[in-house]
Parts: sequence; structure tokens; C-alpha cells
Amino acid sequence: MMRMLARLLAVLNSETHPGQISLGFCFAMVAGFTPLMSLHNLLVLLLVLVIRVNLSAFLLGLPVWSGLAFGLDPLFHRVGLAVLTNGSLASLWTSLYNSTLWRLEHFNNSIVMGSLLVSLLAFAPLYVLSNLAIRRYRAHVLAWVEKTRVMQLLKASRFYSLYQSFSGMGGGL
Amino acid sequence: MTEKQAPPPAREPKDRKKPKNEGWIRWWGLGAFVGLAVLLALLWLFLVDPFVKRMIEQTGTKLVGAKVELAAAHVTLSPLGLTLTRLQVTNPDEPMSNAVEAARIAMSLDGLNLFRRKVIIEEMAVEGLRFGTQRQSSGAVAPSREPGDAAKPAAKIPMPSFEVPDIKTVMATADLQSVKLAESLQADIKKAQDDWKKRLTELPDQRKLNDYKTRIEKLKSSAKGGLGGILGATGEVAAIQKDLEKDLEGIKNAKTDFDRQLADLKQRVDQAIKAPQEDVQRLQEKYRLSPQGLANMSGMLLGGKGGEWVRQGLAWYGKVQPMLAQAQVQPKGPEVVKPIRGKGVEVRFAEREPLPDFLIRTATVSAQLEAGDLNGKIENITPDQHILGKPLTFAFAGDKLKGVQSIRLDGAMNRVVPASPRDHAQVRARGYQVQSMSLSDSADWPVTLGKAVADADLQATVSGQALAGQATVGLQSVKLTAGKPDAANPVIKAIGGALSSVTGFTVKAELSGTVEQYDVHLTSDLDRVLKDAVGKQVQALADQFTKELQAAVMAKAGGPLNELKSSFSGLGGIGNELASRLTQGSLGSALPSNPAEKLLPEGLKLPF
Repeated sequence: MMRMLARLLAVLNSETHPGQISLGFCFAMVAGFTPLMSLHNLLVLLLVLVIRVNLSAFLLGLPVWSGLAFGLDPLFHRVGLAVLTNGSLASLWTSLYNSTLWRLEHFNNSIVMGSLLVSLLAFAPLYVLSNLAIRRYRAHVLAWVEKTRVMQLLKASRFYSLYQSFSGMGGGL
Repeated sequence: MTEKQAPPPAREPKDRKKPKNEGWIRWWGLGAFVGLAVLLALLWLFLVDPFVKRMIEQTGTKLVGAKVELAAAHVTLSPLGLTLTRLQVTNPDEPMSNAVEAARIAMSLDGLNLFRRKVIIEEMAVEGLRFGTQRQSSGAVAPSREPGDAAKPAAKIPMPSFEVPDIKTVMATADLQSVKLAESLQADIKKAQDDWKKRLTELPDQRKLNDYKTRIEKLKSSAKGGLGGILGATGEVAAIQKDLEKDLEGIKNAKTDFDRQLADLKQRVDQAIKAPQEDVQRLQEKYRLSPQGLANMSGMLLGGKGGEWVRQGLAWYGKVQPMLAQAQVQPKGPEVVKPIRGKGVEVRFAEREPLPDFLIRTATVSAQLEAGDLNGKIENITPDQHILGKPLTFAFAGDKLKGVQSIRLDGAMNRVVPASPRDHAQVRARGYQVQSMSLSDSADWPVTLGKAVADADLQATVSGQALAGQATVGLQSVKLTAGKPDAANPVIKAIGGALSSVTGFTVKAELSGTVEQYDVHLTSDLDRVLKDAVGKQVQALADQFTKELQAAVMAKAGGPLNELKSSFSGLGGIGNELASRLTQGSLGSALPSNPAEKLLPEGLKLPF
């Protein structure tokens, strides 16, 4: 827990653009909410690696969103089932069902459909809110955090120096 | 004035650098993704074989209920295929032997459909298929279960006895229905007699009926006093007539009831009289001493083997059945498949070109039997025949095998309409060499088919649960031995002689009933041979036994039957009494419709 908190502080306190951190959290939400071995998560991985997304935020967010998904599975199931069994969308699902790529995506599973839909709908609001929160944090809380003993200890740690060095390389880690 | 130090900016700390802006694309990330993908592909290549092997073993073991083992599994990508080496499927009933073992199974897969989670095997080659091979270690996965029907020994069909049984022993254990029937009926007749005696006392008797006559005569004499007397007596006559009619009605009803009960008892008495003969017949059948026994001799001799073969065939049929068992027919609209907690549910939609989830289009099989190789082809193996629209078909053939000149096996398992499944199979064997086949292992009556050459044509159909089949087996160059050479019984000796002189015969079998409860009816020209040879001798023995049996049964049942007849005839007295009262009452009731006319002097008529 402490390790995770330290990592979170390191990410938030770094010079990384808030948008990159927010995107990391948002992509982590998509990958975390939906079953990990889904085809769309391959695309998420590609985007996370190619777009300058903060990887630490992604890796930090992934277990958190996955943990939340366990509790939210019944909701995903209900949403997914409602959408998949909706009569007006039947022709769309039927045509997707006959496509190999979409079958591989396993879209006809209630939890895959529900979790993907929820995470995609929440993507943009989460990005905006997360950006706002990071900016506010940096403006109002960061100075105080920097002075705390925890942060002093963190800054003195090998992990932080390593993180800073990789971050400085422009990797947006 | 000291200058006030300006407060630090609220939004950005003074010592904080601005976030770096290096553009949104991270090109090395693309390389990392490709690298990761290559790494995963390499890992897949290294791990897919053991993964597939483990999956097949685990799934197979779960399905069979006993260990399914593979020596190796190898997946090829171009063309997409899978090769399995030494597949062993343990027989769940005998964990130290394999039900099936295949040396090599190679198959080509439809890759595109595999992405759609459909296992479509275009061609499969099964080589070195063997049955009942020994295992080095037990293949049991659970505590040994009760052996199924297939493992149960065949029910032995008792051979007829050609000894006249000791009549005293027979009667000591005989449960004669005739005696029981006579005793029970005797009690019923006794009860009926008592009941009717009681009822007779309640009915108007002779004295009461005579009373009516006296009263009428008295009125007649009083009426002679003139018209006033006549009119006065009229009312009384009407009352007498009413009472008399009421009494007569009671007697009539009683007579009707009595006649009905008498008829019922008579029927039962007739049955009781016939019962000793039925006892004799039942005991004759029990001790199987009748010429009819010879008429069904082939059924007794060959029925055990026939039943065993049918049972083995049905056991294999039962093992194949689950492979074709389809849970549900796909409806036209979206179909929600079984919900799995935490895993969601699969919603199925109509497919443009529907294909089953699992299908083996063609499987060529080479089975290594003790007799030699049997090659064949199975087509359309799938649990979803209703989607494919084609039934599973199979055809196997083997020529110049050890002990069989040729054998052909073909058939179909049709589940295209799941509600009305229909499976059929036919076997044609030519030149099957029979060697030392024990037909009866009875100590007193061993029968062995030492040698024969058989041509067999069999066909069976299962429609739902109904089973039907026919078989014709022609045997030539037959060498049969029956009974012991030192047998003292002349009939057994004669049968042995007759059977040893048989050089050829034909057996016909009719299979009927259900898969669970089937019946095999065998007929053969062997019966005629036996009947001709020993029919008279058996008939003489049967006659002797019947005569002794009849005498013994009558000795036991005769007494109760005589008592029964006597009691029954006693009921006749009650009937006579009722008839007599009815006659007497009727004479008294012969009154005119107008009672006053009865009282008028002769020649006079009333004006109204």
C-alpha cells in the first residue's frame, strides 16, 4: 500500500503533463474494467505504448480498476445483457456476430459488452476530471506534500531517483 | 519602506519546471509493442503444445470419468493442424485397461473458424486404433464405481430337464392355487348362506302370505250382506292389496339379488374346478419338461450369446451417445446461453452460414483388431447435427482378416431433428470361423459349438428409445457337442446324438423392446432337428409326469373342491324357498283392478 502511494506521489509530483497521466488512468480503466484477455486490450496496449501516455499511471491504475471491476461485474452484466438483447440493435449485433474479428473480440459476452461500454462512456469524463484534479493538486497540495516526511523519504529513495532519470529521458514513464 | 515580498504564484510552485512537451507520439513504444508481440508469439509457440496436451487430457478425463492420456501434442501453423501421439482413453469400468488407444491422430483445422471459437476439423486421420489394451498404471480418477450393465454377466437361461422329477418333492414345495381358491370360495359361500338365511327371516313367510288369503275370503263373505257391505269392504281390500304388493316387491328384489350372487359364485366355482388343471400346467412349465421346450431349444442354446452380443453392442452405443448429445435447439432470435457467475453470459445470434461449435467433417480410421486391420470413415461428427443438417455416418470394412473372410459395418446416427433421433447400423460378415464357443456351461448339460463357418447379416435401428433389429446367421461345417458321453438319461443322449449329426443350421433373431429393456427372440431350424430326434421321447416323459402330477394335485385339491360343490348346492334351497314364496304371494295377489268387483256376486258389474 505504501509502495503504491509512493508511486502515485512520484507520478503526480513529476513533471509529466497532466494529460499524459490522465490518459494513463483512463486506459487503465478500460483494460481494468474489461476482461484482460480481450482483443480490444491489445489495442489499448498499443495505444498506451505509442501515445505518450504515462505508463506508471497506467500500471498503477490497472490493478485498482481491476479490483473495482470485481464489484462492478453484476452491473456490467446487466448493462451488457440489456444492450445485447435490445431488439432494435439485433441487426447490428447479428452482423457483428458474423464477423470473425468481432467474434474474436467476444463482444457477445454480457460482461465484455457491459464493461467496455461503461469504460468507454466514462473515458472522456474521467480524462477531464483527472486532468482537473492533477492541476489542482499541483497548485494547492504539491508544495505541502513536498515538505512532508514521507515525500522527503521518497525523494531520498533509489526508486525515486530511478523514476526521475527514466522520466527525464522523455519516456513519460 | 520595505518592499513586500511577492507571494509565490498560487498555481505553479516557483521551483517547479513546466511539464515537458515532447509531442504525443512515442516511437519507441511501437517497437516495444512489436517486441512484446514477438515475445508473446514465441512464448505461444513454445507453450502451445504442452498447453493443448494438458487441455485435451483434462477435458477428456472429465468427460470419460477416467484418465485420458497423451504422449504428445503438436500444433502446426501452416497449414493449421494438430497431431496427437498415443492417445489412451481408460475404460472407466476397468481402470487397468484402455477402452480405446490410438497410435496417432492427425487433423487439419479451419483457422478462420477457430477465431470464431468453432473447432472445425476438415480431415482427421486416426491410425493404429486399438481396443481393450492393457495399461501400465491404473487410469481411475475416482473411487471404483459399481460396474455398469456392460460388466454384468449374462443372465443364464436354464436348460430343460429331461428327468421326471420326484412327484413327492414337487408337491411338497408346490403352492397349489386350486386349494387356496377352493378354501377362500368355501368361506364366501358359507357367509352368503348365513346372510341369506337371515334375510329370509326378514321377508314375508308362508304364514303371512296365507294370512292375506284368509283376510280376503273373510271380506268376501262379509260382502254378501248387501251393497253397503260391499262398499265398506272395498277400502279394506285396497289396503290388503297394497300390503301384499309391497311384500311381493321385497321378495322379488331379494330373489333378484340372490340370483345375481348365485351367478357370481357359480362362475367362481367353475374357475375353482378348473384350477387343478392350471396348477398342473404351471408345475409342468416350472420343471420344463415338455416337448415345447425343444421347440425353443435354439433360444436356450444361443440366447445367452445373442443377449451378450446385444448387451455389448448397446454398451458401446451408450458410450458413443454423449458425443452426439445436443443440449438445446438454437432458437431463431438471440439466445442466452447458461449464465456463469463472474463470467457473464454468451448471447448468440443467427449465423449467415451456421456451423456447429465442434465438427469433424471426415475422420478416416484404421483400427487394429486381433483379427487384422479394419479401415473406415466417419463423417459429420458433431453434437449439433441440427445446425449442420447432416447425420453422422460411418462405414468400416475389413477383408481377409484372421478368422473372418470379410466384414462390413455401416450406419448412421441421425440427430438432425433432435426430438426424433434415429440411429441404424448394419453388419455383414462372411466366412466367420467359429472355434470352441461354449453355448451352455451347465454341468449336466454342456453344449459347445466346436467349429463352424458363419455368414451373418445383422441390422438394428434405435428410434428414440425403441429398439428393433433382425439378424440372420447361417452356419456351415458345424461341429456341435452336447451333454456328457456317459449320460444315463436316454433323452439327453439322443439330443447329443442329434446335435452331433447337425452340419449346418440357420439362426434368425428378432430384437425388440427398448434400449433399457430389450428382448431377443431366436428361432432356428435346429429346433426342428431336435424335435424330430427326441420329440416322442420327451412327450412320453412329459405325459408320465403330467399323469402323476394330475393325480397328486387332485389328491390335494379334491377334498376342498368336493366340499365347495356341496356348499354351493346348499344355496339352491334358499333359491327354492324364495321362488315358492313368490308363487304363493302371486296367487294371493290376483285381485281385480277394482277391488269392489271381487266382492260382488257373480254376474253383477259396477256401473263405475
